[in-house]
Amino acid sequence: MSFSRRNFLIATGVVAASSSVLTACGGSGSDSKSKSKVPSVSGSKTQEIPVGTKADSVGPAPEVKGAVKGGTIYSLDQFDMDHLDPAQIYVSTEGAITVPILRGLTGYKIDEKGGATLVGDAATDAGTMKDGGKTWTFTLKDGVKWEDGSDVSSDDLRHTFERLFASFITEGPRYVQQWLEGGDKYKGPYDGKKLDSIEVDGKTITFHLNEARTDFNFTLAMRGYSLVNKKHDTKEKYDKKPFSCGPYKIGARSIGKSLTYVRNEHWDPKTDAIRNNYPDKYVFQFGFELLASTDRYIADKGNDQYAMSIFNEVAPERIAQVLTNAKLKQRVLTEVDTVTYYWPINMTRIKDVKVRQAINWAWPHQQLQTIRGGASTSELATTILSPVTPGYQKFDLYGVTKKPGGDAAKAKALLKEAGKVGQKLVIAYQSSDNSVKSAVAIKNALEAAGFKVVNKQVDKSTFYTQIGKVDNDFDLFAAGWSPDWPNGYSVFFPCWSGKNIGDGRSNYAQLNDPSVNKAIDAAAKITDVEAANKAWGEVDRQIMELAAVVPDYHSIRNWMHGSKVGNVTYDSGNTCVALCKLYAMK
Amino acid sequence: MSRFLIRRVFGALVILLIISAITFGLFYAIPRDPAMMSCGKNCTPDMLAQIRHNLGIDHPIPVQYWDWLKGVFVGRDYGSFGNCNAPCLGYSFANREPVLGTILDRLPTTLSLAFGAAIVFLIFGVGAGMLAAVKQGKFLDKFASSASLFGSSLQIYFVGYIAMFFFVAKLGLFAQPSYTPLSEDPVSWFSGLLLPWLTLAIIFTANYTRMTRSQLVEQLSEDYVRTARAKGLSRANVFFRFAWRGAMGPIVTVFGIDLGTLIGGAIITESTFSIQGIGRLAVDSVNKSDLPMLLGVTVLSAGAIVFFNIIVDAVYALIDPRIRLA
Repeated sequence: MSFSRRNFLIATGVVAASSSVLTACGGSGSDSKSKSKVPSVSGSKTQEIPVGTKADSVGPAPEVKGAVKGGTIYSLDQFDMDHLDPAQIYVSTEGAITVPILRGLTGYKIDEKGGATLVGDAATDAGTMKDGGKTWTFTLKDGVKWEDGSDVSSDDLRHTFERLFASFITEGPRYVQQWLEGGDKYKGPYDGKKLDSIEVDGKTITFHLNEARTDFNFTLAMRGYSLVNKKHDTKEKYDKKPFSCGPYKIGARSIGKSLTYVRNEHWDPKTDAIRNNYPDKYVFQFGFELLASTDRYIADKGNDQYAMSIFNEVAPERIAQVLTNAKLKQRVLTEVDTVTYYWPINMTRIKDVKVRQAINWAWPHQQLQTIRGGASTSELATTILSPVTPGYQKFDLYGVTKKPGGDAAKAKALLKEAGKVGQKLVIAYQSSDNSVKSAVAIKNALEAAGFKVVNKQVDKSTFYTQIGKVDNDFDLFAAGWSPDWPNGYSVFFPCWSGKNIGDGRSNYAQLNDPSVNKAIDAAAKITDVEAANKAWGEVDRQIMELAAVVPDYHSIRNWMHGSKVGNVTYDSGNTCVALCKLYAMK
Repeated sequence: MSRFLIRRVFGALVILLIISAITFGLFYAIPRDPAMMSCGKNCTPDMLAQIRHNLGIDHPIPVQYWDWLKGVFVGRDYGSFGNCNAPCLGYSFANREPVLGTILDRLPTTLSLAFGAAIVFLIFGVGAGMLAAVKQGKFLDKFASSASLFGSSLQIYFVGYIAMFFFVAKLGLFAQPSYTPLSEDPVSWFSGLLLPWLTLAIIFTANYTRMTRSQLVEQLSEDYVRTARAKGLSRANVFFRFAWRGAMGPIVTVFGIDLGTLIGGAIITESTFSIQGIGRLAVDSVNKSDLPMLLGVTVLSAGAIVFFNIIVDAVYALIDPRIRLA
C-alpha cells in the first residue's frame, strides 16, 4: 500500500518521545493483573492469505458470535478521506472505510481469528487463470445490485476497468493499467473507445495481460479496483460520493467533518461472503486529535462507547496508561503492521556503495525509536520486508541488533576507505514535531561518523511530489511501503525496480541495478508460492547489500475503541479495523 | 440613521475589497501550486496544465483576482471540477467543492459557539464588573479583581483539557463537547456546547470584568455623576442612567471586535474541544495548503469584524445620547 501523507503522520506525527512509555510498556501497571508484554513484530506470524474455494465465496458472511443488529457505530478520527472514488484509493484508511460501500471482483474474507482468505466478492470465485497467468476470467454473481436497485451489469464491469485510464484518475494503483494489453495507448472510455484486452460476455469478464500475473486476483482485491456504476459515473465528482453496491450507502457527507453510512436496502447478504451488516448506521466523525480521541475512549461516555477509529491510534502520551491498565487494554486492538518505514538513499547522487553502507552503519535506530514512543509502537528494521510479509528473511547486514544506536567507528572507517570523509548529505523530511526531533538525531549520528549533514524541512503537502522527482536535490528521505497484497512483488516492483523510475513513481531511491531488476522479474514469474517467497527474500538481501535504503522500523499499531463496540477485529487486507465485522452492543 | 448605515456598509465593502486583494496577492504569490496538489502522484504535464487552466491559475495574479471577484457576483465555471454559483468565494481543490459551501456548513457551529459564549461572558463579565465598581474597595471588589486577573492569565487549551478531564471524564457533570444543530436537537445542542461556552467565557469574562469595573469607576467619579447625585437622584438611577451608559461605549466596541473575531474562528477552542467550526477549517486549510479556502475564511473573518463594527457604531447612539450619527 502506498505511503501517503496520512501514513506518514501515523509514522511520525503521532508518536512523541516519552521515556516513560519505554519503561511502562515493558511491564504491567499498578492495577493490571495481566503480564502485558510489548507486542513483537518479529514474533508475529507471517500474514499468509490463501485463495479460497468457490464455496468460500458464497454468501452470506459467517455470523459473528453474539452480534446483534441495530444501533450506530461512530468513529473518532483526525482526518477525512482524501478520496472515495475507488480508482483514486490507494491508502489503507480509505480502503478500510469504503469496505461497507464498495465491492470488487475479489476481496478478503476475515475469519474469527483475524486471518483472511482471498475470495470472490462480486465475483463467484477468486478467478480462473489461463496461459500461466496472462488471461484471467471472473464471473459476476447473480443478485449483486447498486443502491438504486439496478443490477451490476457487464457494462459496469468493463467501465470500472476502462475508466482507470481516464486522465482524472491520478492517485490509485497502476498495476492493472500496466498489465492490460494495449493499456499503454488507451485513454479511457469517455471518448467512446473500448479496451480490447477486456472482454465481457454476459456475466463473465476476461482480462488479457501483457505478462503472466499469477497473483492478479490478489491485485483486484485492492480497493482501487472496486466496481463503479457506469450510469452514475460523475467523473471527478464521483470522488465525493461514489455509488454503492455494498451493505451500506453514503447517507450524508460533510467534507472534513463527518461521513454517514446508512443501510443499502438493495444489498443482498446472500451475494456477499465478506460483509456483515449489523449496525444500522456508521457515523464517521473527523477533526479529533489523537489525544482527544484517546481521552474520550478512556472516559467511555455516551456515544463514545460505540466509537472506534480508522486512523487514530492511541496517543503516545497515553500509551503507557492504556497498555498497562488491564481494563483499558481490553479495549485496544494491537496489530503488527505490514509496513516498513525506511529512508531511501538517492542512488543517482550517492553512487559509492561504501558511503551508503556507512549511512546504514551509523544510523541511530534506537534513538529514533525512543522519539517515536518506544518499543510499544515499533520494532527496529534491518530488512525491507516486514516480518509479517511472506518472503521475509531475517538478516542484519549493518549491525542494528548489536549496536542499535549506530556504529560510528565502523561507518567512519568505511567513509575513509571510500575517501569520502566529510561527504555532504542533504536529508529531506516533512515538517512535524517528531520529524524535527528525528532529523536532529540523524544529523548528530551521521556527523559523528564523518558526514556533513544538511537537514531540509519540506512542506507536507508536496513532500512526495518533491522526493518523487527524478531530478531532486536530496540524498536521503523518509518514506515507507506496505505490500499491496501479501507477496514481495507489490513491494519490490513499485519501489525497487529500475522499470519504475520516473517523476511521481515510488522507486524513490531510483535504484536501477541490472541484477536487482533481473531478480525482481524472475521472482515475479515464479508460480510456486514457497519458491517465490524465497526469491523475494533474496531480492531484499540483494538491495540491502547495495545499501540503497536504510530500513528504519516496522510498525506496531494500537487502536482503542468504546466498551460497547463488539467484535473489533483486524482487516489484514486493509491493515485497519474490519468495519463490516463490528456490531453495537445492546 | 439610514444614511449612516448606507455609508458604513459602503465603507465596509471597500475595506473587504482591500483585504481580499491583499490576502489574494499574498496567498497566490507564495510558491505553492494548487494544481500540483490536486493532480496527484500519477500526474502528467498535460493533466497539470489542464488543472491549472480549470482552476484559472494559469493567468497573471491580477487577472486571477479579477476572476475571483467576478465569481463573487456572477459565479464561476471551473471546467471539469464543476460550476460554482454566485456568490462564489473560490473552489477548494483539496475538498473538491466550492469554498462557500464548506464555510456555510461550518458557520452554524461557530455562530453557536460564539454567541453562546458571548452571552455567558457578557452576563458574568459585565455583571461582576458592575458589582466590583459598586462595591469599590470592599471584599467583593477585591475578589472580582483577583479572580479576573487569575482568569485572564489562563489559556483555553489549559482550562479546556482540565475541565474535560474533571467535569466530563471523571465527574460526568457535562456532556462530551460536540455540536448538534439547534434545529435537530436543542437539548444536545445546549449540553454539547455548554462546556466550550463556559471555558471560552472564563477568559473573556475576566477581561470584561476588569474593563467594566475600570470604566464604571471612572464614570462614577465624573462631575456629571456627582451633579446627578447632588440633585438627589437615586443611586440606582444615577448608576444606570448616567454612569452605566457612559461606561458601556468602550465595552460595546471591544465586544463587537471580540464577537467578530470569534465568528472568524475560535481556533484554539474548536481544536481543544474537537469542534468542527470555522477555526478548525482554517487550521485544516493551512495544513492542506488549501489557499482558496483560507482566502474564503479570511474574507469571512474580516467581514464579521467589519459587520459588528457597524452594529457597534449604531448601538453607540442608542446607549449614549451624547453620540450622534453624523
